[in-house]
Amino acid sequence: MGSPIIELDGVAKTFESRAGATEALRSVSLAVDAGEFVSVIGPSGCGKSSLLRIVGDLVEPSAGAVRVKGKSARQARLDRDYGIVFQTPVLYDWRIVLENVQLPLELAGRPRVEWQQRPRALLRLVGLDEFAGHYPWQLSGGMQQRVSIARALALNPSILLMDEPFGALDEMTRERLNQELLQVCTETAATVLFVTHSIAEAVFLSTRIIVMSPRPGAVDRVVTVDLPRPRVDETRAQPRFFELVTTVRQSLREDPGLVGGHVRPGGSGS
Amino acid sequence: MAVIWEAAKMLFALPSYQLPHLHEIALDFLREGAGGERWLWIMTQNAGYTALESLIGFTLGGVTGLVLAIGFAHSRWLERGLLPYVIASQTVPILAIAPMVVVWLGTSWFSKAVIAAYLTFFPVTVNMSQGLRAVDPDALALMRALAASSQQILFKLRFPAALPYLFTALRISATASVIGAIVGELPVGSRFGMGVVIINAAQYYNWRPANLWAAILVSAVIGILFYHAVAAVERRVVSWSRTAPAI
Repeated sequence: MGSPIIELDGVAKTFESRAGATEALRSVSLAVDAGEFVSVIGPSGCGKSSLLRIVGDLVEPSAGAVRVKGKSARQARLDRDYGIVFQTPVLYDWRIVLENVQLPLELAGRPRVEWQQRPRALLRLVGLDEFAGHYPWQLSGGMQQRVSIARALALNPSILLMDEPFGALDEMTRERLNQELLQVCTETAATVLFVTHSIAEAVFLSTRIIVMSPRPGAVDRVVTVDLPRPRVDETRAQPRFFELVTTVRQSLREDPGLVGGHVRPGGSGS
Repeated sequence: MAVIWEAAKMLFALPSYQLPHLHEIALDFLREGAGGERWLWIMTQNAGYTALESLIGFTLGGVTGLVLAIGFAHSRWLERGLLPYVIASQTVPILAIAPMVVVWLGTSWFSKAVIAAYLTFFPVTVNMSQGLRAVDPDALALMRALAASSQQILFKLRFPAALPYLFTALRISATASVIGAIVGELPVGSRFGMGVVIINAAQYYNWRPANLWAAILVSAVIGILFYHAVAAVERRVVSWSRTAPAI
């Protein structure tokens, strides 16, 4: 593997408010290689969303450095290296599905002739080409989230930032979308940073799982997922899958103080 | 409505100068005026004049309101500086302002349109500046992640997201602009419009009460038509919104 595509070095975040300062992240260091699928998991309030937003230059870190493709996070954002998916689809109600997927191309000033082919291909990829002319409210929650994934891929970004994208969906839809996401990632060769609070989802999707300790968030443990690829439905039935789920679950339950909440950049746990 | 009207008249034994019969009001439209023209035609001409003033005022006020709202949403400093005056402008009775505007700008249609605009811009400014701000934080984060310029954020996110707010304001402004135009026609010197008809009818009220009632009816119809015109445009423009009015 070459040099890491995302590098965090001693990143910390403290939010100042009238009620006082809240330390969300304490000295997080980690490196993600190109083509990896890295999940960040942890209890609510462990700063995992903040971590993702710091990588995407949506939130400023209070301390530490972020390098993305050897550039600052800000430069990477301005170069449109990111595709982003939130917990809610954040589709624009006044645009039909196709126009929502076109949005990144419009913003990037791409010529109009390019606005059809790739968005339509992406909608086909997420199985929604028939719904290109629908308004977002006419679609189910799962379909809307697929549109938002297609939109994130519109500029063929090298990095996909996903902030609990399937958190609001039912279990069956979530599993189906997990499967689809892996296919999409294989076809687009994007590096993914994926925030979740579902252990099974993290194990199924990831090459590595960053387990975070709560308040202030820090990397508690890094679990390398050595399940074979491609991951299919049967993957969820493998003994190794359950072992990994157990490993992650135990890491989450353990008192970070006892385990010694150390930062192990690029390291592996199990 | 008609039944309640006539029942009230009968029940309280109201004389015609308090409440004329509906047929008296209807017949007033067929009566011939001083110039030999039927009142239906006189009313139609004056209503058309008022409607035109209202429409110009509505447009003028809508644009002013929109510009102010975009300014306010853009700069807190501008809002702090100007908002007190904007609010103060609406606490002054329009009846007191109207004669001054007519003195300043003359008795032509223009002064009436300005008074209509005076009533129109306020709801647009207030609602639209709120709408421009009430944008989903994640929708903004998405724009930021995609390195959108502030112009793109305004025109591709804030403005379309605020359209339902704008139309709510425009529906209020539509009826207010008609009131503004009529009030602008009341001061001495005006020659056309429903305001002039109302003033004249009021002078002869004891003698011919149905005439004033007919004028009020016509004025109301202008306002209602305006409201529905705006609502119709709204249904077309924000068809994607589930908050668009049913009527």
